[in-house]
Amino acid sequence: MFDIKKTMQIASAGMTAQGFRLRIVGENIANADTSGFQRKTVSFANELDRAAGVSRVTVDRVRLDQSDARQTFDPGHPLANERGVVSLSNVNPLIEIADAREAQRSYQANLSIFDQARRMSSSTLDLLRR
Amino acid sequence: MFEELNVIKVASAMARHAAVRHRVIAENVANADTPGYRARDVQEFSSYVNEAFTPRATRAGHLGAQAVQNAAFRPDQFKDPAIEASANGNSVSIETEMLRAVEAQGQHSRATAIYSKVRDIVRLSLGRG
Repeated sequence: MFDIKKTMQIASAGMTAQGFRLRIVGENIANADTSGFQRKTVSFANELDRAAGVSRVTVDRVRLDQSDARQTFDPGHPLANERGVVSLSNVNPLIEIADAREAQRSYQANLSIFDQARRMSSSTLDLLRR
Repeated sequence: MFEELNVIKVASAMARHAAVRHRVIAENVANADTPGYRARDVQEFSSYVNEAFTPRATRAGHLGAQAVQNAAFRPDQFKDPAIEASANGNSVSIETEMLRAVEAQGQHSRATAIYSKVRDIVRLSLGRG
């Protein structure tokens, strides 16, 4: 019974982490055309919570992608330099969408584990009910 | 007749084993994107209950029903040759984990079914069927 509760805590921590990752992807996509914006990347770590006795997944660190910004030729742009080139963000929407799909897939996996744990705990409680 | 219901002890140990295994699988799934994480698993319940239904252990390493009830199910590193670690050193495959989670869930529901069936039999023998 105690392990089922831990399972639920682990799965919910996993969902929180994947939700955070999806939020970062959303920020990246929203700022795809912001000039000077650097794409953010998320990495996860496994952290032992000694008080609860479970090892949960947490967001390790949010880093900035150091790759070069996309350049476009647009002389009419207010931020264009003397050659008419505008430096935009280094966000590649394709990569962001792939990342979002992966986050969604992992979120769903955690959700189905949570659902299974819920069913296991309710079937144990059903033993008392009848 | 009711002093020593080994089947109840084994069923409760089986449910506990399923819960521990399910927790380990949840850790694996939650860490499916953690760099360097190695998948873990708990050994099959059958490996803990060899001849558990005999009243005493015939060999060291065999667990009686009492021992199974008190056994600590420990997770260990899981090596599946079919699964290669990805570039960031993570060896979790969500598909395999889902399969094993369903196995653990099935084992848990089998254990609770055994438990409730034994309880029905006891109730029937008491004339309250």
